[in-house]
Amino acid sequence: MTSSRGALAPASPPPAIDRSLADRLAAIVGDKRVLFRPSELLTYASDALPSYHKQPGLAVFPGTRDEVVAVVRELARSNVPFVPRGAGTGLSGGALADGAVLVGLNRLTRVIAVDPENLTATVEPGVVNAALSRAVAPHGLHYAPDPSSQAACTIGGNVAENAGGPHCLKYGVTTNHILAITALLPNGEIVSLGSASGETDGYDMVGCFVGSEGCFGIALDITVRLTRNPEAVRTILADFLSLDAAARAVTSIVATGIIPAALEMIDQATIRAVEASIYAAGYPTDAAAALLIEVDGADAGLERDVATIESICNSSGARTVRVARDEAERARLWQGRKKAFGAMGRISSHLVVQDAVVPRTKLPEVLDKVRRIGEDLRLRVANVFHAGDGNLHPNIAYDANDPDESARVQTAMHAIMRACVDAGGTITGEHGIGIDKLQYMDLIFSPDSLAAMCSLRDVFDPDRRSNPGKVVPMHSCREWHGARSARQDAAKGPPVA
Amino acid sequence: MTTVVSLSAEAIADRVRDARTRGARLRIAGAGTWLDAGRPVGSSEELSLAAHTGITEYTPGDLTLTARAGTTLREIRDAVSPHGQWLALDPFGSDEGTLGATIATASAGPLATRFGTPRDLALGLEFVSGRGATVRGGGRVVKNVAGFDLTRLLTGSWGTLGVITEATVRLHARPEADVTLAVSPSDDRIDVGGVRAALKRWPFVPLACEVVNDSLGRELGLGGEAVVFRLGGNSESVAEQRRAIAELAGGPAREVDPSVWRSLRAADDDATLVLRVSRAPAEVSAAWADATALTAPFASARVSASPARGIVRCATQAVGASIEQYASTLAGLRSRIVAERAPVHLWNAPPLARAADPLQSRIRDAFDPQRILNPGILGERAVS
Repeated sequence: MTSSRGALAPASPPPAIDRSLADRLAAIVGDKRVLFRPSELLTYASDALPSYHKQPGLAVFPGTRDEVVAVVRELARSNVPFVPRGAGTGLSGGALADGAVLVGLNRLTRVIAVDPENLTATVEPGVVNAALSRAVAPHGLHYAPDPSSQAACTIGGNVAENAGGPHCLKYGVTTNHILAITALLPNGEIVSLGSASGETDGYDMVGCFVGSEGCFGIALDITVRLTRNPEAVRTILADFLSLDAAARAVTSIVATGIIPAALEMIDQATIRAVEASIYAAGYPTDAAAALLIEVDGADAGLERDVATIESICNSSGARTVRVARDEAERARLWQGRKKAFGAMGRISSHLVVQDAVVPRTKLPEVLDKVRRIGEDLRLRVANVFHAGDGNLHPNIAYDANDPDESARVQTAMHAIMRACVDAGGTITGEHGIGIDKLQYMDLIFSPDSLAAMCSLRDVFDPDRRSNPGKVVPMHSCREWHGARSARQDAAKGPPVA
Repeated sequence: MTTVVSLSAEAIADRVRDARTRGARLRIAGAGTWLDAGRPVGSSEELSLAAHTGITEYTPGDLTLTARAGTTLREIRDAVSPHGQWLALDPFGSDEGTLGATIATASAGPLATRFGTPRDLALGLEFVSGRGATVRGGGRVVKNVAGFDLTRLLTGSWGTLGVITEATVRLHARPEADVTLAVSPSDDRIDVGGVRAALKRWPFVPLACEVVNDSLGRELGLGGEAVVFRLGGNSESVAEQRRAIAELAGGPAREVDPSVWRSLRAADDDATLVLRVSRAPAEVSAAWADATALTAPFASARVSASPARGIVRCATQAVGASIEQYASTLAGLRSRIVAERAPVHLWNAPPLARAADPLQSRIRDAFDPQRILNPGILGERAVS
């Protein structure tokens, strides 16, 4: 099945994206829903990662499932590469369309069905994450994965990226919540993956599709698992005079068997940015780090868990530990965390957010390395992250118009990635590879592993037209030689991951 | 011919490449405790990973563990339990099964009610594809979206895409309290749907909840039909869970020895037909009815349901002429049927004979183009 073409993808040079294609697409979706002029396309040249600008050749915004199918089939007939896009809140450049057709799915916002008995909902890909939770709230349910961009990001985009969020520590990431997908393959074929009711035989096609970053096609509808709202929630803020003490508290809490709904760490630089902003949450500005810890579930026994966590924080050296007294205080504590990146925006004109995961016990060591990298390069590295999962988000506020500072930021990002991989970690926990992380794939995957991913992509998209050039570096997409390269790998030693 | 590989992942890769060169077809085996599961395999040789054992990385504070595929679940249990942890997987059979086989077959047991299946617990894999290439997917950390999800793809692929050589799994800390309770129905029939409704209503999730039919209940020493709960959490939480169950049962539930779980998992070891009948969880009573219809010809059929998951498992000694009746009943059911074990001629009849899904066949061809790994086990056509 592996195609025999060489290193370049897509296979053939993309045909001109011209007025005639725009007209054919406009005949499907209407004139207003096709953007062709460079000035109109500027908006779509970036996602939420500001360091890349790639202008699409054309953008099309179908409004119904039938229009999506017709658009993709027209693109298949015309052999034109395309990039599916949800809300464009991604942080890895995954939705950038460099001269390709951008297919915006944000108009497909229908919640098709809610089944409160079976705790499922079926939605179109453009449904906004938080809107889905609002739609099912009357049933006492919510959709558990909660990326910080949940007020804007779409379920289709969440599926593509296998999005996470603070509450994934207890409830799992996107892939743990998707039961079935109707997928439109890049050649226009419609396939049904997984099952909304009962078990399926065969491969885990849903698990395979989730996290494929738009390279396997477009999800036309998605059946998600819904989660009951917990009976009770307690939110705790503990502040520490060293990052190390806070990191040790994290490990101790998880070791008790209590699985907090969320366990977030916020360092001093972030605390100060938040407290100086409109999102001020009452975090102590002189603390080296604060932990935002949430436990939820049945009322019975929850106070015991809170007491256990308080006691662990205290014995790990917490200066103060406080439990939010009411919903308003709880919301305020969370607002500071969720809007932390927004608050950082006050400090400098640009912000770059890194995403990596390390084994939880390596947090103190890696945080220390990150701090030293920042010091060596004279950069302000702040940390606000999912500590319970070991999912780091070091972020650097800088001025992108200063070439020297920009270069130092890039150097720091590389050094941080390397430190995380050296600690046994991975290069992305929830933001995806997109184009931004392509350069690091060789750090954790052997040529044969990358080639296996390429050949999997070729099953779904043999022409490599859907989100071309993302996830797997092009040089890996050669014929899968298997035996020969496996021996070469053996000579080089095991891959890092 | 059986080859027991004891050296390294590289030796396994060599073995696959050698088989590929010779045109040999391989039956991939772990401890060999469950080789009668799945469709008949048209293999000429067995590749056993039983000797490819050992935990290669375990840092208790990370709650993850990496082990070679032939490592048994018992070895893992023995290594992690001193640290108050467990791998929350209790597939049917026993802990003598291997980690590799458990993941390859995505086998789960009663604990799936709380902890999910291997699809939720496997974090990373190393495998040798049918092309003989050594491939890694996922990693050793609990959250990871680097690259396409080969770990999920391989989990439950029954060895047809690659020979799993090593796996990293998520562990959990053992709960402070872990209590097993049994409830027997006050009238003569258990209301499986009622149990499911209670599970949905309760603010807690038990570690496990299985409904067992009369013959299985007797075999387990429960006296007949019963609902068996396994409750976990801190002591206050478990006390409240017991109270809720007493309310459902109309009186205090009796505490039973936790060995009932081991017995439940082993109960169908001698069965020749094991099917999982499933529907959406709210329709679990209908799935139970379908399973009851299926097992009606067999007095000793053992049936258990996981009401939270909508899955009913039934195991029988399917013998003699009743097989035809069985096959016709199967064909008329609305529930989804997944077979674990079946006599050869049942595999070849609908609905167990599976039409090859073209997309899945293409995935198979990408990873194992000559179809040398466990050929036939997923009902796919052989390469001519």
